[in-house]
Amino acid sequence: MRRANRTCLKQRCLTAGQAISVLAVGLAMPVIQGCDANRPIQSATKKAVATKTTAWIRAERRAFDGAPPVIPHEKLGASCTACHSKTGIQFGEMGFAPPMPHESSDTGRFSRCEQCHIYVQTQEIFVENTFVGLRQDLRKGRRLNELAPPVLPHPVFMRENCMACHTGPAAREEIRCTHPERVRCLQCHVPVTDTNEFER
Amino acid sequence: MSHLDRRNFLKVLGTTGAGACGVVAFSCDDKRQAEKIAAAQNEGLSPSDLDWGKAPCRYCGTGCGVEVGVHDGKIVAVRGDTASPVNKGLLCVKGYHLPAMLYGKDRLLYPQRRLPDGTLKRISWDEALDLVASKFKETLDKHGPEAVAMYGSGQWTIFDGYAALKWVKAGMRSNNLEPNARLCMASAVMGFVTQFQSDEPMGCYEDFEFGDDFVLWGHNAAEMHPVLFSRILENKRKNPGVRIIDLGTRRTPTSDYADMYVEFRPGSDLAIANGILHLLVKQGKINQAFIEENLVFKRGIEDLDQIGYGCYEEQAERYTFKDKGRDSSLEELTSFLDDYSPKKVSEISGVPVQQIRALADIYGDMSRGTVSLWCMGVNQHYRGTWMNNLITDLHLITGKISRPGSNPFSITGQPAACGTVREVGTLCNRLPADMVVMKPDHRAKAEEIWKLPADTIPSKPGYHAVDMFRALSRGDVKAMWIQTTNPWVTMPNLHRYDRKPGDGRFIVVSDIYPTPTTDVADLILPAAGWVEREGMFGNTERRTQHWDKLVDPPGEAKEDAWQIIQVAKRMDMGHLFPWPEDDWHKPMYEEYRSFTHGTGKDLASYDALRETRGLRWPVVDGKETDYRYAAGHDPYVKKKKGVHFYKAKGYGEKAAFWIRPYHPPPEEPDDEYPYWLCTGRVLEHWHTGSMTRRVKQLQQAAPGAYVELNRADARGLGVKPRDWVRVVSRRGELKLRVRIDDRGKPPRGSVFVPFFDEHKLINQLTLDSMCNISKEPDYKKCAVRIERV
Repeated sequence: MRRANRTCLKQRCLTAGQAISVLAVGLAMPVIQGCDANRPIQSATKKAVATKTTAWIRAERRAFDGAPPVIPHEKLGASCTACHSKTGIQFGEMGFAPPMPHESSDTGRFSRCEQCHIYVQTQEIFVENTFVGLRQDLRKGRRLNELAPPVLPHPVFMRENCMACHTGPAAREEIRCTHPERVRCLQCHVPVTDTNEFER
Repeated sequence: MSHLDRRNFLKVLGTTGAGACGVVAFSCDDKRQAEKIAAAQNEGLSPSDLDWGKAPCRYCGTGCGVEVGVHDGKIVAVRGDTASPVNKGLLCVKGYHLPAMLYGKDRLLYPQRRLPDGTLKRISWDEALDLVASKFKETLDKHGPEAVAMYGSGQWTIFDGYAALKWVKAGMRSNNLEPNARLCMASAVMGFVTQFQSDEPMGCYEDFEFGDDFVLWGHNAAEMHPVLFSRILENKRKNPGVRIIDLGTRRTPTSDYADMYVEFRPGSDLAIANGILHLLVKQGKINQAFIEENLVFKRGIEDLDQIGYGCYEEQAERYTFKDKGRDSSLEELTSFLDDYSPKKVSEISGVPVQQIRALADIYGDMSRGTVSLWCMGVNQHYRGTWMNNLITDLHLITGKISRPGSNPFSITGQPAACGTVREVGTLCNRLPADMVVMKPDHRAKAEEIWKLPADTIPSKPGYHAVDMFRALSRGDVKAMWIQTTNPWVTMPNLHRYDRKPGDGRFIVVSDIYPTPTTDVADLILPAAGWVEREGMFGNTERRTQHWDKLVDPPGEAKEDAWQIIQVAKRMDMGHLFPWPEDDWHKPMYEEYRSFTHGTGKDLASYDALRETRGLRWPVVDGKETDYRYAAGHDPYVKKKKGVHFYKAKGYGEKAAFWIRPYHPPPEEPDDEYPYWLCTGRVLEHWHTGSMTRRVKQLQQAAPGAYVELNRADARGLGVKPRDWVRVVSRRGELKLRVRIDDRGKPPRGSVFVPFFDEHKLINQLTLDSMCNISKEPDYKKCAVRIERV
């Protein structure tokens, strides 16, 4: 296990108490994603400025589009949803903790974040792998005509909170919503159901 | 598949006006990187551009439904199948990373033979199959059927297991067929068989929604069965009165969610269960009507000297102890339980009396549904069958069984430990559908279905797994074929099986990757994995699930069942597999299925399984069964109300309550070796990690084995997290990094080491003690010392 791969957090472990005080006063602490957001995890060694996660970083953090991203920061001693709340939290210039796209559930089915999202402990691998995953589809959404609302290009399951990815500081330009004030997204943007059902 | 391609393609055309118009837009600062990644990955594909097929997950016994997305002959994505009643769309981190598991760069692609100098030489399939056939034939001719063996897996598909069963038992006329599931589920099998004369649970996953109290006996469900644990958590969210009780010998992520954590001394769960029974009986919290209607009482051999532990003196070579039951009664139970007063149980177990009373209150509360869950903590136990019996006893004496939300529910570790091992019967004493080789009528039924002369199948059981490997190292077994498992990582007391060059044995290993087991093989056969071939698994809740072949295997890899059939044909046993070479799965399955007709274990038809997300047996008139033995649920129960244990013919169609005492563990900490060693799994890795360690994300999250120490012990030893220590047992030693207060927290005097790391073989330290009845090894208890390095 090499230590060089440590991210910009430099082993800075927050105690639960510290983390809470950070939350309470909103001080800028090198905690969240922003600190390494503009570079791949393995080369993130410098203190970074706040930037949105790029397509490259986004892809780096998941095996394929649809796979749960790995956790790009170290354990902070606070509960995940304290920062990855319904809206997310901005930590000064240090970065933005993006909101959780799953339907808000602190104690239910999705409450064990670490059964799907795992911490990166090392950059070393066991054996090379040739897997090439599905990449996020960034084509313009399918729509009937230029004025029609695009249909949803991805399943809604576990992405019930549309705002998490399509609005706010975490939203990338290509998928940013122009009208977040109309909160009922699904009344105009319909899920494509043809692939949700298995067919033979 | 071709019609699917075309249909999907047309859909895409219709909705997008062809993929060619796709514009990939990136912000300019990362354009170059984006181009790089676009070149390496699939350009601008939407999920609807893929061909999606269904399959159960490759890993654990939960049997989550996954949809597998294929593009251009490769798997590029998976997602949880929202139509699967098992997981309802959710997966765990292993499941979400399934596709990469097939694409490790060192996939075995060709048959390879080991040369005398130890190097491997690529050979053709013809040469390889001829070699296996001739070696097994030669061994049979020279040394007889007890010198050949096959060691398979709870990860075998039903097809693989059934082919193996026929080849070994009807072809070679040997009963030396064992699965790695002997190391993980055998105690649960013997628990159900001794009590209901039929294997496998009566409950199903709906118990997770219907139950009020979930008592986890040594079961770290949050890590090992995350999706099932999520169902409990969801129940708790909707019904705040739901309670989770975690009994364990160390704190785990499961304990974090528990309403009560009960920490006990290793092995003392036997005393705790008896302590609960003591209170239930003394307080009259038993269901008298249910007992009279449905129970018989039994008592087995309890003499410790006679039983032993399977690892000392002559038992260290052959462990053949047989239990013998005699009739008992509620009165005898009552006086037997005098020895298990809360105070005495507390002394044995270290559990406070209040907690023992609280547990008795939970089991004795007739207004609440109670689900007991257990897995390796109970099964890998020197008295694993006894522990299974005792937990089920708690449900029998209270009548909390075969009811939605009230069941003893053993959770399976492997994807087909139920479907293949327990149902097909790939064990040294078994035949399909609960039949055993010892019974003439059972052998006759198999011979009839297989159209073989009478007395083809031998009546004497073969070696159980541990004895099979002991026989191999002694030289009594001379030819062994190992498929889909990695015994040179998983056998307890591993040094016993170190191979010496020129030992005269012939070991064939079929796998998808090189492992410590292929390292000792004389012949390595490349296997097709998961959806590279057609298959069926059967999960914990009796659900049989089918999947189609979705991609081609790499190189010359072939499915395990095909390998067995080809060897059989070369040994003049082709009559066992009389089906066309290009279409044998369906007729093979339908032949196997005929074993189950009318037995209460009736399987669904091949066609039904292809069309559904699996069906739970018994399947009668196309309808699955959620609760076995329950009136109104199980079609074999003709009663209007209550339960009927119709499989237990030997007990007058009643269930057996077994009286089982406490026995001390085979090895306990002492001055020289003052710590308990417990071994187990982690969330990220599947068993020995031969698949999951090749997945970047999983490997980087759990890179290697470590030893969890208690903080106070670490202070006493003068070690900090990440320091190296040497863990030493009477059998071996291992250098490991220290972890403290990480995801698992052992109590003082106790350490934990995971077994997934082939470079840190903790099983060189474990003791090969076994359950006296199931012969399943106990990986959870032995004594070690810790040395600073």
